[in-house]
Amino acid sequence: MRRALTILTGNPLTLTGLVLVALVVLAAALADVLAPFPVHRGAVVDFVNFNKPPSSDYWMGTDLVGRDLFSRILYAYRISLILCAVVLAIAVPVGVVLGVMAGYLGGWWEYGLMRVTDVFLSIPPLVLAMSIMGVLSPTLVNGMMAVTAMWWPWYTRLVYNITRGEKAEGYVLAAEVIGATRAHIMFREILPNCVPAIVTKMTLDAGFVILIVSSLSFLGLGVQPPTPDLGSMVAEGAKYLPDSWWLSVFPGLAILIAVFGFNLIGDGLRDILGAHR
Amino acid sequence: MSLLEVRNLTLSFRLWSGIVDVLHGIALSIAKGERVALVGESGSGKSVTARIVLGLLQDLPGAQIGGEVRFNGRDLASLSRHEREALRGRDISMIFQDPTSSLNPVYKIAPQFREVLARRTPRITLAEARERATALLQEVAITEPARVLDSYPFQLSGGMNQRVMIAMALANRPALLLADEPGTALDVTVQAQTLDLMARLVADHGTSVLFISHNLGVVREFADRTYVIYRGRIVEAGPTQAVFEAPGHAYTRALMAAQPRLTGGALPDIVERDPRFFDPVVLHGVPGC
Amino acid sequence: MLSVQGLSKIYVTGRHNVAALTDVTLTVQTGECLAVVGESGSGKSTLANLVLGLTPPTAGTMMLDATPLPARRTIDHRRAIQLVQQNPLSALNPRRSVGASLRLALDVHGIGNPATRPAKVSALLADVGLTPDYAARAPSALSGGQRQRVAIARALACDPRLIVLDEPTSALDVLVQAQVLRLLHDLRLNRGLTYLFISHDLAVVRAIATRVAVFRHGRIVEAGATDALFTSPQDPYTRSLIAAVPVITEQEKAMRDRLGASS
Repeated sequence: MRRALTILTGNPLTLTGLVLVALVVLAAALADVLAPFPVHRGAVVDFVNFNKPPSSDYWMGTDLVGRDLFSRILYAYRISLILCAVVLAIAVPVGVVLGVMAGYLGGWWEYGLMRVTDVFLSIPPLVLAMSIMGVLSPTLVNGMMAVTAMWWPWYTRLVYNITRGEKAEGYVLAAEVIGATRAHIMFREILPNCVPAIVTKMTLDAGFVILIVSSLSFLGLGVQPPTPDLGSMVAEGAKYLPDSWWLSVFPGLAILIAVFGFNLIGDGLRDILGAHR
Repeated sequence: MSLLEVRNLTLSFRLWSGIVDVLHGIALSIAKGERVALVGESGSGKSVTARIVLGLLQDLPGAQIGGEVRFNGRDLASLSRHEREALRGRDISMIFQDPTSSLNPVYKIAPQFREVLARRTPRITLAEARERATALLQEVAITEPARVLDSYPFQLSGGMNQRVMIAMALANRPALLLADEPGTALDVTVQAQTLDLMARLVADHGTSVLFISHNLGVVREFADRTYVIYRGRIVEAGPTQAVFEAPGHAYTRALMAAQPRLTGGALPDIVERDPRFFDPVVLHGVPGC
Repeated sequence: MLSVQGLSKIYVTGRHNVAALTDVTLTVQTGECLAVVGESGSGKSTLANLVLGLTPPTAGTMMLDATPLPARRTIDHRRAIQLVQQNPLSALNPRRSVGASLRLALDVHGIGNPATRPAKVSALLADVGLTPDYAARAPSALSGGQRQRVAIARALACDPRLIVLDEPTSALDVLVQAQVLRLLHDLRLNRGLTYLFISHDLAVVRAIATRVAVFRHGRIVEAGATDALFTSPQDPYTRSLIAAVPVITEQEKAMRDRLGASS
């Protein structure tokens, strides 16, 4: 534990990542308190103050219908983090369980599961998400389903590869000789050894999920107005560059901070957890 | 003058948790043509000593090396990194414990030989290298050198790979050969043949050998002089016969007693940590020159 | 107690078949230590896999206490035959504590009730010379010798009839090896355990085995009581094996030379 903290705080890059992510999480959690105009996250119109550059009243300016950009960004962080959490909370367990089973059970289990995984992995993620939402309607829930559907195979492949390696280790043989059930071996013996890689990947993925959701919103799928989303905000504002630069730049920076922060932490975590053999 | 002279060698590593002292003043010497063994268990520091002689640890960040290591009269610490690298593969070479994993699995044997020979003759062509390699392989009693040269390491047996490695190590006629537990990964009959072969070759070429092992029997059969190392300190040194027949130090005696005998006998009761293991060094006769 | 008759195992790989074991017949008496000696490719590891029920034989039968051992083992069969492996680092799950690894056998076979199992774990650790506080430690915090002791304790946990030891001391230093061999010897005598001891190290075999079977290319070339086999080996292969062992005393050298000269 002490060693973990030393590594996390000792490396300046990892420390930066920690700080950035902490800021994002705090912003999302305390949006109600921090936002100067909390109601602006909804359908509010203020044509007196629309399209105003950053000032002392509106720290990041206002958008085209007069809503405070800073407040909307804080709430957008909340949406992004919730989406992230939900997507990973579903995709990771599904992917991991399938990966361990494919890796340990072998035979038809391995063949069937990995071929299905291959199919999902071979479709470009954004295309898959767009197709799913084209068939269903472009709502937030469908957006989340689409992103989840394309996320689990990466965990399956990761855990499958680790499991195949661990299968050759002595402790697996020992458990088999003792007579442990296959379920015990898969989930109580092998799976704990996959955890470092899974956790590292999850932190790196957090940034990517935010990016993909933003991309979907940018395309008009995913999060629908008036709910604030960083990607939609960038999209709307892009049309008005470079005059109303604040409309795109601030949301864009917000995405950058979140993704960058998660990536930096992910690297640090890999150093802590990775060296175990 | 000795070929290799090590005096008061110390080594420490700087880690997260602090400084770890690994070697506490090692002294050993090897004359030309001599076969010297360094015997110890794992963690004794025998492998890092070899790596220091090869010049591999000097550039590692966090490694602090003190004392003197003189090869052919020149202190390794006074050489530049480039000069140390020049010695490796030409005047000092090394063979390792597991022959198959020490050879590059994605290249056949012939190009690996060429790489080795290029250390002495940088512009050597593949054809010339093959010719010299064939002669070298015949020296190590390989009857089908052409087949071996066109094989990948995983296609050859462990014993074959060990002989290939010996041939490569001696290809540039080094003055000093370091051997780190050679034969440990091999069957006992193959190990015996390999060690006989090595003994013959080094005698023919006048190569000195620093032989690192934890296997007392192998050391007894191969080495002229023996150093026993325990936790970074030399505890006993002298001609092999003297050390084995009349071990003076508590640790050496414990090692001898712990070794099961082919002639049978009861299982001894061994104490793993004994304060007497830290007794001062026992020297037999006049060490080195 | 364990008897195998005409045991054979052929591995089919791609183009050719490998006959790992051919027509092996031997018995292990209760309370003895039968050593299986051979070089690589001799089939000794295959024999271990067959006895442990990890792979089915191609031909032949195995009997434990006069009841046949099927290819698919039941949980009681598993309990009866346990294993100590060569590599103690790999044999313990790095993500589970020593105590958890020891408890596994107790939990799987329902030994005692859950409340008493921690006490049994402490007792097992004491049997192999380790203190109870080792139960909370991770395997990476232990030395090689300590890990192997834990592996031995684990093999004892479910009171097996037979323990298969596959090169249990080959990965250990000389002093540690001596301690572990002594521990194994004492445990066998004090508790009437039965060992099938696989090794390539003839000196170790001489020290610990009551009977020896010498394997070569999947067949038994010679078998007999340890002292008899070492003092007057009949088969030339056995003699060549003994002659190749590097030794440290003059008496051993004399013995080797005597045997080598007559082969």
